[in-house]
Amino acid sequence: MIKLGKNIVEVTGLKKRYKDFEAVKGVDLQVEEGEIFGFLGPNGAGKSTTINMLSTIIKPSDGIAKINGYDNVKERDDVRASIGLIFQESTLDEKLTANENLMLHCKFYNVPKEKREDRIQEVLEIVDLSENRSKIVETFSGGMKRRLEIARGLLHYPRVLFLDEPTVGLDPQTRNHIWEYILKLKEKAGITIFLTTHYMDEAEICDRIAVMDGGKIIALDSPEQLKSDVGGDIIEIATTDNQQAKQKIEDTYQTTVNESSEGKLSFQVKEGSTFLVEFVKNFDIPITTVNLRRPTLNDVFLQLTGREIREETASKHERNKQSMRGGR
Amino acid sequence: MEGIYAIWQRDIIKFFRDRARLIGSFAMPFMFLILFGSGMSGAMSSMIGGSNAAGPLADFDFVEFMFPGIIGMTVFNTAIFSALSVVQDKEFGYMREILVSPMSRTTIAIGKVLGGSTIAVIQGLMMLIFVPFIGVSISFMMVIKLIPVMFLVAFAISSIGLLIASSLKTSQGFQMVVQILIFPMLFLSGALFPLNGMPAWMDFIVKINPLTYSVDMFKKIILQPDQMAPALREAMGLDLSVFNHVITFSQEILVVVAISAVFVVLATLKFSRSEG
Repeated sequence: MIKLGKNIVEVTGLKKRYKDFEAVKGVDLQVEEGEIFGFLGPNGAGKSTTINMLSTIIKPSDGIAKINGYDNVKERDDVRASIGLIFQESTLDEKLTANENLMLHCKFYNVPKEKREDRIQEVLEIVDLSENRSKIVETFSGGMKRRLEIARGLLHYPRVLFLDEPTVGLDPQTRNHIWEYILKLKEKAGITIFLTTHYMDEAEICDRIAVMDGGKIIALDSPEQLKSDVGGDIIEIATTDNQQAKQKIEDTYQTTVNESSEGKLSFQVKEGSTFLVEFVKNFDIPITTVNLRRPTLNDVFLQLTGREIREETASKHERNKQSMRGGR
Repeated sequence: MEGIYAIWQRDIIKFFRDRARLIGSFAMPFMFLILFGSGMSGAMSSMIGGSNAAGPLADFDFVEFMFPGIIGMTVFNTAIFSALSVVQDKEFGYMREILVSPMSRTTIAIGKVLGGSTIAVIQGLMMLIFVPFIGVSISFMMVIKLIPVMFLVAFAISSIGLLIASSLKTSQGFQMVVQILIFPMLFLSGALFPLNGMPAWMDFIVKINPLTYSVDMFKKIILQPDQMAPALREAMGLDLSVFNHVITFSQEILVVVAISAVFVVLATLKFSRSEG
């Protein structure tokens, strides 16, 4: 990849060890100014730990992270002044008004007095909350709180905005709105956005994605490139006897078949539409449903790790393993 | 510096916004002063002066005696419980907003201690509302003297509160530790009854209790023991002495300043090292 812009985030060999386990096992990455960079991976993959190290919340056990040219450990306060953080859980003071929350933030971050009023108006406009400025945050909906939090994160004009699962726990409509605001931010402010998510569709808006699993980056590219690396199309079928069908497809076509928890078999082929006709004609186990589609980021993850990324479809065993791995 | 102000300001705004807390803060002092104090005053007078007391001891009035102690208790309770907000901020997430800002941990700790102290002074002053009902006479000069003393005491106690809060993760835990601490400190401070003729071990606790000196300062300002008959002064336990030296007001100030200094440093260190 040709580097045109300046690298605003530079990370080499970043590691985090806890007593008896390594949450992050050596992460290297560069992020250009103005990029939307995403961390994708299941819970416990080390996304949050990595983002916490980059945002100076926890100290790395090893390796170097630099943001805006400042070292995350040695020049911590300069890094902090250069970044905005939006956490998974709300960090607003709900007993205060929106304005009070924003004003306090200006003071914490030394925003010059004469600029505070303008900035508060500006960020409230970006997230459409201008009319709720003097209302107590307690009365806000979940989506409004999230937006206020994003607004607050922008007040000190950070160079990099970290968003850790920014839409977790929100309804789909609100989620879409939040993403509209985030894209608007990128266009208006030219801010670099660093986010983690385990929603596939959300990861699609990133310029580049680092797929994380088991504390390591296992792939790093644009979403389009990652998907085309999967190669070909995805065929999903359900049959009356999945076990036998799986065996049969694997033997006949020399490919790996993944079985999802919803009882569907999926595998990839080149030239999906011509293949499908032949396949259905010749397959002797009764097929109940069949579907041909382009690969998604979930398929990318599936191909890289043999597992699905979605937490809700992870098997119980898998989930136990993940929670034992801890992380987050 | 502005960080300290911002942390302080947040606590003050929230204090005045929380009406229930404001009204509730009168409940304890009211119960002690009016119910307990008035109820006990007859018994206390006869214990101290005998039922047909004559001479200086007849002037003993238990409610009047208790009043400086109640101010002390209010300042003490408010100051130590103000640190609860630190634990609650951890629970509700706001502490992360504070901790990831470029402000130093010392700034945050000092802001919190000053916020708690200020609220404690305000609550302490609110206790003066009881003055007309209990027949204590308080001059304007006394109030002027009370404010800085209250602040000093509150600063010491808020620091102790922050030290406890920095070591704990849940509000329940904090409340339990503080409750366990509050009662012995209060009972053995001279706030609620005269500390006369105690067993040696208890006397020792009284003398190492920071609250003893704090309460005694309030007593010296409000009750003006130097204008009392010596017998009455002794009966009211107003001759606080350490190693047989009667302690003066300025010595008490020094003691509380020293306690403040020690605990604010300890609390700041503990707060800076706590995970957040």
